[in-house]
Amino acid sequence: MSDANTTPQVPATNRSPIGATTRRTVLKGAAAAAALATLGVKLPRAAAQDGPTVIIVTDTAGLGDQNFNDLANAGLQRAGAELGVTTDVLESQDAADYEVNLQEAADRADLTVAVGFLLTDAVNATAPQFPDRSFLLIDDVAEQENVQSVTFKEHEAAFLAGVVAALTTKTNSVGVVGGQEIPPVVRYEVGFTAGVQSAKSGVNVAVVYAESFGDPALGKELTLAQYNNGADIVFPVAGATGIGSFEAAVELGGGRYVIAADTDQSQLGADVQLCVVNKGVDVAVFDGAQQVVEGNFEAGARALGLAENGVDLTDPGDNVAPEVLEVAARYKAAIIAGDIVVPFDRDTAAAFQPVPAPEGTPGASPAASPAATPSS
Amino acid sequence: MDDFFTISLLVATLRTATPLIFAALGGLLSERSGVVNIGLEGLMLVGAFMAATGAHYAGDPFVGLAIGVGAATLAAVIHAVWCITLRGDQVVAGTAINLLGLSIPAFLTQRLFDTAGRTPTIDRLPTIGRGLNVLVPVAFLLVPIVWYLLFRTKPGLRVMAAGEDPRATESVGINVARYRYACVLASGALAGLGGAVLSIGDLSFYTSNMTQGRGFIALAAVIFGNWSPLGTLAATLLFGGAQAIQIQAQTTGLPISTDVLIALPYVLTLIAITGLFRNSLPPAGLGRHPTTG
Repeated sequence: MSDANTTPQVPATNRSPIGATTRRTVLKGAAAAAALATLGVKLPRAAAQDGPTVIIVTDTAGLGDQNFNDLANAGLQRAGAELGVTTDVLESQDAADYEVNLQEAADRADLTVAVGFLLTDAVNATAPQFPDRSFLLIDDVAEQENVQSVTFKEHEAAFLAGVVAALTTKTNSVGVVGGQEIPPVVRYEVGFTAGVQSAKSGVNVAVVYAESFGDPALGKELTLAQYNNGADIVFPVAGATGIGSFEAAVELGGGRYVIAADTDQSQLGADVQLCVVNKGVDVAVFDGAQQVVEGNFEAGARALGLAENGVDLTDPGDNVAPEVLEVAARYKAAIIAGDIVVPFDRDTAAAFQPVPAPEGTPGASPAASPAATPSS
Repeated sequence: MDDFFTISLLVATLRTATPLIFAALGGLLSERSGVVNIGLEGLMLVGAFMAATGAHYAGDPFVGLAIGVGAATLAAVIHAVWCITLRGDQVVAGTAINLLGLSIPAFLTQRLFDTAGRTPTIDRLPTIGRGLNVLVPVAFLLVPIVWYLLFRTKPGLRVMAAGEDPRATESVGINVARYRYACVLASGALAGLGGAVLSIGDLSFYTSNMTQGRGFIALAAVIFGNWSPLGTLAATLLFGGAQAIQIQAQTTGLPISTDVLIALPYVLTLIAITGLFRNSLPPAGLGRHPTTG
C-alpha cells in the first residue's frame, strides 16, 4: 500500500555505494585525496561500462539527509541497477561548489542532474557551456536548450496532509518547520496551511524556518518549541534539518506526530510518522536517465501534481482514522478535477478561501491510488 | 505571549550553548598558548562523527564519547605538528583541518555503513531531565576549571606567557612548544566533546556537516569574550539565548520578519564584538614562533 504512486525505492540501508564519492573544489579534493591516501584506502571507482553516464549534483544538505537528496540518489541507483547506466554523485558542501560540481559532472556525464532549486543559477551558467550534454533540474525551471526542468505541485499533496493534520490534531494546533524559504518549500507550507484551514476552522498553524537544510540539532529545537507551545503534529519540510523533528517527536512521545515530506521516513520513527507527502524526485531522475538511454531526452519544463501522480499523500499510519482518509480522498478528487485550486505562493495563499470538504462518493483512498509514474 | 518566557526557553538556551562552550574553551586554550585555531569546526565534526561511530560499534554512548574525543585529539595533533614543529601557516593548517572534518566522515560513512553522509541511529547519552544530556553540566563546570588552571596555576601562567611573548618565555628556559602542544591537543579534545554533544547528546546520529558553522561561532565567542573563560561563557550564552528567543518568537508568531529573527543571534554577536568590547585584544604572541619572534 505504501508508495503507491512511486516505484519501489531502494531502502535507505541497502543503497549501493557505486561511485558515490565526494568531490568539491580542486583544493578540497586534493585535501580529501591526501587524507584518503593517508588512510591507505582506495576511492570507489565507477565501473567502466558502455552505457551512458548519469551524475547527480546534490545541494548543501547532501547525501544522508534521508530526504530530498537521498531520494534523488535512490532514483539514480535504480537507474544504475535497471538501465545499466554508470552513476556518480557529487556532493556540494557550500553554494560555491554548485557550479564547479556541475561543470565536473557535465564533463563526464551524458546526463547531469541538479538536485534542487538552490542550483538553478549554477545550471543557467553551466548548461550553455556544454551544449552537447543533457541536464535535468529538479524543483525549478531553467530555460536552456539542453535542460529538462521538473517541478512538482507539492502544494496539492501538502493540502491533503493539512486535511489529515487538521482532522487528527487533538490540541487544535499544528506546525510547519521549513528549511529555507524557497518556492518549493513555500509551496509545501501554503498548501498544508490551506488544507488545515479548509478541513477544520480554528486550528492554529505555526510556521517556523530554520534557514538551513542541514542542521538537525536546530530542527529538533524548533520542533520541541512547537510541541511545547501546544502543537501535536509538525510537518518538517527541511531536508536533514527535519530529522531533528523526528528525534523530538520520539523523545517527547505522548501522541506527538510528524508528517514526512518528500519520502517515507519511518526508519526515523515509525510510530510518530503520521503520513507522508510523497514527491517523485526519484521517478523524475529515473525517467531522465531512461530518456537518455532510449535517446528521447527532451528539454523543456514539466510540472507534476496529483493528477500526474508526481506527488501524493501516502503511507498513512495507524494513527490516521479511515474517515479522515475518506475526506482527504474527496479533496484529492476535487483538486484533480480542478474544483479546488490550491495556493502555491504567498499571494495565492492570501487570496485563498477555505473550501469545505466536497460531498459525494469518495474515490479511492490516497494510499490506494493506482501505481503510475509521472507522465511527461 | 503569557508563556513566552518559559522554562523551556532556558532549557533551549543551555542546550544550544553547550556545544559552543566546549569548542570555545578549546579555542581559548589554543589561542592563549599562541596558536590560532580556526579548525574548531573540523575538530567538532571529527568528534561528532567518531562519537556516533564508536557508539554504534561499541553499543555504548560513553565508549563512543571517548572514541570521539580521542579522534578529535588525534586530528589536533596534525594541527600541532604543522603549526608548532613545522612552523607552518596556522590559518592554512586550520583550514585543512576543517576540510578533513568534512571529507573523512563523508568517505567513512560510505565505507563503514554503506550509506552516504550519515551513521546509523545510536543510543544517546543519558539525560539529567528536561532533555538536557549529561554533558551540559560538564560544560558549565569546565569554565571555572579552565579559568583556575590558566590563571591560578604555574603551568597555566606559562601557557599565557607563551601566548603573550614566546621569545621571552623561551629565554627563561620554558619549553614553549611543549605547552603549546598540550593546549592544542586539549583544544582538540574539547572541540571533539562539543561535536559529540550534537551527535550522541542532543541527537542520536551523525549526519554530514551537522555542526553547521558552530565551530566558527565558538571562535567568535572567544574573541567576544576577550580570551577569558567567563567572558567566553557569557558570549556562548548570549548566542544560545538569542537562538532560543528567535525560535520561541517564530513559534509563537510574533509579528516580526522571520529573516530578522533568524539573524538575531548573529547580529547580536556582531554588535557585541564591534561595539561593546572594543578593547578586546588577542594574546600578543598569537601566531608567532619563539625563534622568529
